Amino acid sequence: MNAASKRPRGASILQAICAPMALVAFVALFAPGAIVAQAPGAPAQDPAPLGPPLSGAALDRATEEVASLMRCPVCQGLSVADSPSSSAVDLKAEVRRQLAAGFTGDQVIASFERAYGEFIRLEPKAEGFNWMVWLMPMLAFAVGAILIYFRLRPQRPVARTLPSQEDAKPS
Amino acid sequence: MNRKVLFVGLILVAPLLVMLASGLRHDPREVISPLIGRPAPEFALLDLEGRRLSLADLRGQPVVVNFWATWCQPCAAENPIFAALARRYAGRVRFISVIYQDTPQAIRAYERQRGSWGPALVDPDSRTAIQFGVYGVPETFLIDAQGLVHEKVTGMVSFDGLTRSLEAML
Repeated sequence: MNAASKRPRGASILQAICAPMALVAFVALFAPGAIVAQAPGAPAQDPAPLGPPLSGAALDRATEEVASLMRCPVCQGLSVADSPSSSAVDLKAEVRRQLAAGFTGDQVIASFERAYGEFIRLEPKAEGFNWMVWLMPMLAFAVGAILIYFRLRPQRPVARTLPSQEDAKPS
Repeated sequence: MNRKVLFVGLILVAPLLVMLASGLRHDPREVISPLIGRPAPEFALLDLEGRRLSLADLRGQPVVVNFWATWCQPCAAENPIFAALARRYAGRVRFISVIYQDTPQAIRAYERQRGSWGPALVDPDSRTAIQFGVYGVPETFLIDAQGLVHEKVTGMVSFDGLTRSLEAML
């Protein structure tokens, strides 16, 4: 194998690394909904409840579950379920009221999102720009793995007998 | 090889740079309210004297809704600003305040000492504050004559800033 035959392989490595990165950047920056925006004037009122009214243990369980998905507005990284702050207590009470009225968990979170924005979600929705959050770690891992593989794999003996010009340069 | 490393590095870093650059345009402490440009959440609350006041009743003129509490220092600091603006725009703009996580007793004592510039509404369980997406106090919402949220001021208002906003709404 000579230097000329190495070039396509290097290019394919670059393609393997760059293509997904470019795709992520494209999806993140240009996908519909990349920026949180909704049409002005859209109704802010709750739609009709889509679930059964909850009570008792089921209501307790659902309240904890939904509150654990919501960010406490006055805390640092705590959920509404975990925070003892009075704001979180009020929010949790509102979650409970809505669940008891028959709103589903998704409806409840959506109603808070209409007032607080997406910030209220502890986990950002996997859409638009948010895909960066979900895909970047996986891509970074994949890119790292590819780089490590090509750096650490054993050199072929042929490469030693026919060094490229670049290898022959004194360091 | 160095060029390749540089190229790959740039490709890896470019999306992050774009993301960070877009963040430079925003105040990191400010969370933009999704209510801007939308109908303000309706409410009907009682003031300290038990009189009912609803936002719907005020339609037709701009309304300033200030969420505040007696334990909030910036709220105390902006009290004279609201008092001055309420005098200046009397009859043209309605100024109301919503009590946030405080007691009517504390508000009465406070108003006896410092006066009042508008009705202070009691908000049981902070339900109206939640509907407005209030993070903390003070927060002030400017609602236009059609009932749409024109602006949200997080933190203490300024006399000049609020005057400009009100003039734009009138």
